[in-house]
Amino acid sequence: MVHALHEIHRVLAPGGVLIDMRPLGERWQIEVASAHEIRETGRVMDLPEQVNDDLAANEAMKEVESRGWYARDKEEFFPFLYSWDTPSEMEEFIEEDWADFIELSNDVKKATRSAWALGNADSRVRLRMKVLLARWKKL
Amino acid sequence: MSIQKDPEQSEIRHLRKFVDLAGKRVLEIGCGEGRLTWQYAKWTEQTVATDIDHDSLRVAKVDRPYDVENIVHLACADSHYLPFSKEKFDIAILAWSL
Repeated sequence: MVHALHEIHRVLAPGGVLIDMRPLGERWQIEVASAHEIRETGRVMDLPEQVNDDLAANEAMKEVESRGWYARDKEEFFPFLYSWDTPSEMEEFIEEDWADFIELSNDVKKATRSAWALGNADSRVRLRMKVLLARWKKL
Repeated sequence: MSIQKDPEQSEIRHLRKFVDLAGKRVLEIGCGEGRLTWQYAKWTEQTVATDIDHDSLRVAKVDRPYDVENIVHLACADSHYLPFSKEKFDIAILAWSL
């Protein structure tokens, strides 16, 4: 990662800006949402790979800051939603695409299915990620 | 499967508030299929969107909207060895790729 950040530093013009945008594994919230209400049904479990990826990325940014390549300018967080028609579609997606990173407990699966079944006709299942948006200035 | 990613368009709203892209030369690392690229590129002077995954870039090439055809250039590149001359870009975006 540090090597890649050095390459980016090389191709950035003086005073250039690096934007680091990425989801942080902080036990993303699962919810059932309709036009009238949003009900949280539980949270995902972060697996070691997700936790380690976050740590490695944070460490890399600390390293390039300490080397005097970049200075942190601004940082904020925003929610990013994934939304499915049904709980089973969400479960299938997580198993196929994110199995190395997160897991759903049986309790959360049950709670989500139940809330969705009892919800309004327009209810969808959503996963609410926390995304980091950080701005770094090239030094 | 009916999946929606970012139906509230939080990502582009926050990015636009966060950094002034107007008239800038932008390098995006990890563009994937271009989901984010197509949303911001129209404000830039030029965007070079890179990814190491050929399959994702193939999809991006097919999906590239007409209005950014002359603005967005797609390239297969490893972020460890960027095939660009020094000081070529004003902004680099690591899009879910650090």
